[in-house]
Amino acid sequence: MRDTFIKTLLAQAKTNPEIVFMTGDLGFGVIEDFQKTVPDQFINAGVSEQAMMGMAAGIASTGKRVFVYSIGNFPTLRCLEQIRNDVCLMNNPVVIVSVGAGYSYGSQGYTHHALEDIAVMRALPNMNIYIPADSIESKKLTEYLCESNSPSYLRLGRSGEPDITRDLKISTPNKIIDIIEGKDGTILFVGPIGIRVLAAEKLIRKYGKKVSIASVPFISDLDLDYLKAAANKGPIVTVEEHSNRGGFGSLILETLNSLGLTYKVKIVASKQLNLSEIGSQSFLQNQNGLDEDSIAYAFMSCLES
Amino acid sequence: MEFMSKKSPGQVENLIHSEVLAQRARIEILRMTSRSKASHVGSSLSVVDILSVLYSEVTNISPSTVTAFDRDIVILSKGHAAAAIYSVLALKDFFSLEWLNNYCTDGAQLGGHVTSKNVPGVELSTGSLGHGLPYGMGIAISRKRSKSDGEVYVVMSDGECDEGTTWESALIANHYKLNNLTVIIDRNKIQSLDFTESTIALEPFTQKWEAFGWDVLEVDGHCHKSLLESIQKQSVKPKCIVANTTKGKGVDFMENSVLWHYKAPNENELDNAIAQVKKKTP
Repeated sequence: MRDTFIKTLLAQAKTNPEIVFMTGDLGFGVIEDFQKTVPDQFINAGVSEQAMMGMAAGIASTGKRVFVYSIGNFPTLRCLEQIRNDVCLMNNPVVIVSVGAGYSYGSQGYTHHALEDIAVMRALPNMNIYIPADSIESKKLTEYLCESNSPSYLRLGRSGEPDITRDLKISTPNKIIDIIEGKDGTILFVGPIGIRVLAAEKLIRKYGKKVSIASVPFISDLDLDYLKAAANKGPIVTVEEHSNRGGFGSLILETLNSLGLTYKVKIVASKQLNLSEIGSQSFLQNQNGLDEDSIAYAFMSCLES
Repeated sequence: MEFMSKKSPGQVENLIHSEVLAQRARIEILRMTSRSKASHVGSSLSVVDILSVLYSEVTNISPSTVTAFDRDIVILSKGHAAAAIYSVLALKDFFSLEWLNNYCTDGAQLGGHVTSKNVPGVELSTGSLGHGLPYGMGIAISRKRSKSDGEVYVVMSDGECDEGTTWESALIANHYKLNNLTVIIDRNKIQSLDFTESTIALEPFTQKWEAFGWDVLEVDGHCHKSLLESIQKQSVKPKCIVANTTKGKGVDFMENSVLWHYKAPNENELDNAIAQVKKKTP
């Protein structure tokens, strides 16, 4: 996913000199090709996320499309006020790219886990949030972001995630497309956690139920027609590798509520019971209720209640 | 895209224009803060000479070129001195003087901290300290790489140098050799609660900037001639001008006082203050 992003961006940058790539001294083994190929469009700002973000906004104000790259919470929480004032308030076309969503850097510890970023970025005005599930969506969204002109946040996993989505239409990135169609309800997810949602779908099928599964790669302009239809069809379970406070699930609840619909929603998100737990991404997903059994249980319990 | 020619350097011998501008701006600042009972009159009076020189004698920005691609950029990073930049811009016809009358009132164009939205001549909304320098540095590096003209001037407070972004930027601007970037520090030696040296000591201040690789000049921040000469000095490095100023400059009972970081002049104080400012011949 990370490699797809940088390859796609480089392909665009070769023909579009307005694209600038900034890193906060991260991306070893990933960014070198970009740096060598278009050095005038590359800036390493050092380990200075706050200055980097303000600088990115300044560069963007001169007509450039700036991609700011770092990992985990460094390009979001560490420099939040620069994003709020210099990017969002000034409406500068900066794309914030964070690699390592959720527990991607599991064994590196909580400082490297990105679990509150969706909630925080959602709170910012003018900010558009993109969360690809795999390299297919990463490529399409990166191409889309090279052309768009708004403050944006691109939340990436790490690398090696399997492709699970269908071809996203670049002209309508908010369009929600079922990966699997089912009549009994819907599971919506953001990001590479989708692979565990698909595993949960198999369990649900074993119980004799058919559930629609869909990735929601652009959460700032939701596909309301899809949501209305889903709410009418049956329960909706949301799944995100993020805290259970203020993230994607909260967004779906708020949106359905504002539409005045009757709905049944269950949020599957990290409970964050032990912040200091060490382990692989899948281990920490399991420990925090993001495994296929928990997802399947959430859906089945909605049907039964 | 609109381009513009470089303004010829101001005449050091003849700075009457910027000095008259600063005197008139001081009167407007006093009226604005008194009328609206707003804070930061002292901060505005200390920085107003720097802004007057920049807008009158240095930059090529005018009401008709505020969106020109290669215009000089002035960023007032100490956004709490909004009354100062608004006064200078209004007196230079960037917008109506009428706007000053509504400063900080309901639905006004101009508030207590600098806003760029629909305010011609203002480049960046500021108010939280430590934002102007990174932003200006971004413009400077973008222009340097695209070989476009236009200098970038960032006006900061000394208290603002407590912010980490100041020193992050000091490192980065030096590394990228941004000699199209000038920082002017309003060194009035007073910050929010006390003198800078009693709060978080900044001294030895000029040496700090020199150690970060900047070309550093120390001048009297109320002497227009010195300010102009220091701004016009060519450099191959990013430049830092430490402009020694007096908080509340021009009004004896406001000068060098923490109180006037917050207090707004009442009617008697306003009359007294304006009389003092008017008495001084530019």
